[in-house]
Amino acid sequence: MANAELKLAPIAPVSFEQEYGIDKFLSMEARLLDEERYPEWLELLTEDIRYQIPVALNTYRRARQVSATLKPMFIIDDGFPGLKQRAAREATGLVWLNDPATQHLRIITNIEVETTDTPHEFLVRSKFMIFRGRRDKDIASHAGWREDILRQTPQGLRIARRVVHLIERVVMDKNLNMFF
Amino acid sequence: MKKFNYQELVDSEQALQKRSIFWDPAIYEEELKQIFNRCWLFLGHESQLPQPGDFIRTYMGEDDVIVVRGKDKVIRAFLNACTHRGNKVCQAEGGNARSFTCSYHGWSFNTEGELARVPLEKEVYDNLHRERFGLVPVARLESYKGLLFGCFSESAPSLIDYLGDVAWYIDIVTDSAQGGIEVVGAPYKTEIPGNWKLPVENAIGDGYHVAWAHAGAMSVVGAIASGRSDEVLGINANNTGVDQNSAIEVVMNTHTALTTLGGQSGYALYDHPEPVLAHIEKNRPNVIEKLGELRGRQLYGAETHIGVFPNVQIIQGLNFIRIIHPKGPGKFEVWTYAICERDMPDATKEIIHDHVRQTFGPAGLLEGDDGDFVEAITHSAAGYATRQMQGFLGMGMGRKTPWDGPGEASPGLVNEACQRGFYDQWQRTMEADNTYEIIGQTAPIAPVTAVLKERRHG
Repeated sequence: MANAELKLAPIAPVSFEQEYGIDKFLSMEARLLDEERYPEWLELLTEDIRYQIPVALNTYRRARQVSATLKPMFIIDDGFPGLKQRAAREATGLVWLNDPATQHLRIITNIEVETTDTPHEFLVRSKFMIFRGRRDKDIASHAGWREDILRQTPQGLRIARRVVHLIERVVMDKNLNMFF
Repeated sequence: MKKFNYQELVDSEQALQKRSIFWDPAIYEEELKQIFNRCWLFLGHESQLPQPGDFIRTYMGEDDVIVVRGKDKVIRAFLNACTHRGNKVCQAEGGNARSFTCSYHGWSFNTEGELARVPLEKEVYDNLHRERFGLVPVARLESYKGLLFGCFSESAPSLIDYLGDVAWYIDIVTDSAQGGIEVVGAPYKTEIPGNWKLPVENAIGDGYHVAWAHAGAMSVVGAIASGRSDEVLGINANNTGVDQNSAIEVVMNTHTALTTLGGQSGYALYDHPEPVLAHIEKNRPNVIEKLGELRGRQLYGAETHIGVFPNVQIIQGLNFIRIIHPKGPGKFEVWTYAICERDMPDATKEIIHDHVRQTFGPAGLLEGDDGDFVEAITHSAAGYATRQMQGFLGMGMGRKTPWDGPGEASPGLVNEACQRGFYDQWQRTMEADNTYEIIGQTAPIAPVTAVLKERRHG
């Protein structure tokens, strides 16, 4: 799906200022999540957001679309209410594995910005590494890339769509209860 | 001579389990032999393999297995190991294939498992007996109403005999659906650092942990969070009380079932169950006609956790099939497949898929909690002193309740009857001298297959 959209030739021109603003926005967003500031993070999302993490199916190249039974699957496929529900769970104080506190660290890099056919919306690709540490030495990390649609609103940039591509098929972590 | 003292490892009378069974590598090696090399193991569902050449890869114990529908439409299972040197002949998780070709030297096997092509064969071999080098088949493969099981033991009882009474409960899932059930998509797969037995008995019987371990999730999801009810599955909000009359845990010969009855309890954890419940009520008269009053009114639509020993759970209500693949004593993979009735409207199926993902997918609101204590129970047994401790599953012991279905019922979801049943069955399987003893039967005298084998070798 994503690969079909890729264009090697960049990229309708985006002003340095706009690109710089998007770069700083993504860093700020990552920090809000690292600091578990979920209500503020939710304010960075549009009400019509779609947030997806597809399963990275392990299929032969030539067979990718062939089998009727291996349809695309998602680890998360949420709109705003679903994301709010996940954030609310974190805030209950009843998720025992987050106490002692979990440490989070996100690195966002390789940011590429493209204009889209919709005014005020940008297609933004980025790579990420996310680390979480808890307990004595329970440290897990995940790497992947994201395709976002960021919308410029009067209140500032907002995330209108995010597709998170993980590079692992079998999730090598006890859970993915985190935002990417 | 048993390799371990299983009566000491599992003390059924006092409901105690020695914690070394979660840690000791020698016990684990024995489990691979006694349990996973002899029991019927879940492979998948026929709906995953509609066309010739369709295949899935799975595990039987730690054995990598290909399940494939051949050109002749017959479903077979093979060890995923080249008969030349042992490399895997398939690295994909599923799809459609004309052949399976080893990436080492290029030996190629057709979908019936025959060795079809050997590079440079004429130049480098004189009289290569290809017929001796087909993929090694899993000895037995049988389907129970579309559910595919494989077994490495040629002399094991048939699948239907192995399932025994639990088939009565499985039928609620397989027979209620007018057009059968379907598994769509690939399973969720997560690797967890714990012993395989812990997630199995958690899923088949641990109602006690639901309101406590999942307290965070329970306050944002399902009937309590949406204000439809002040209890879920008979457990009050905030774990302040439990109705032990609204659920039963059933222990059968070999397998278990836990159900919260009532005909709609399976949808308590759904945020918006209405369309699914509408389908269930529309279909209920058919189910009553087919399966009778008890199953039609009480069990169809109920939260029902069917535990097929050793490692598969079929869970109605939550609507998934879950397999626990062992990966060494301290690691397992959990695979979760959403299941739907084939003739449900697509929008209703979507609700079920959404719910499985939201609750018990790798980022599920409830799924995230269990891995933590499963890991701690397993790895704390690395300590010699801790390993001498015993787990205690004495809850509800001796409590019985009348029940017209098969098996012996004990009252309440907060009960440890199914978990005791699981460890009793573990003990029996580890001790069993033959595959019939695993299900509490006597092996037929001089099994025909043994005679045939003798002849073959003689």
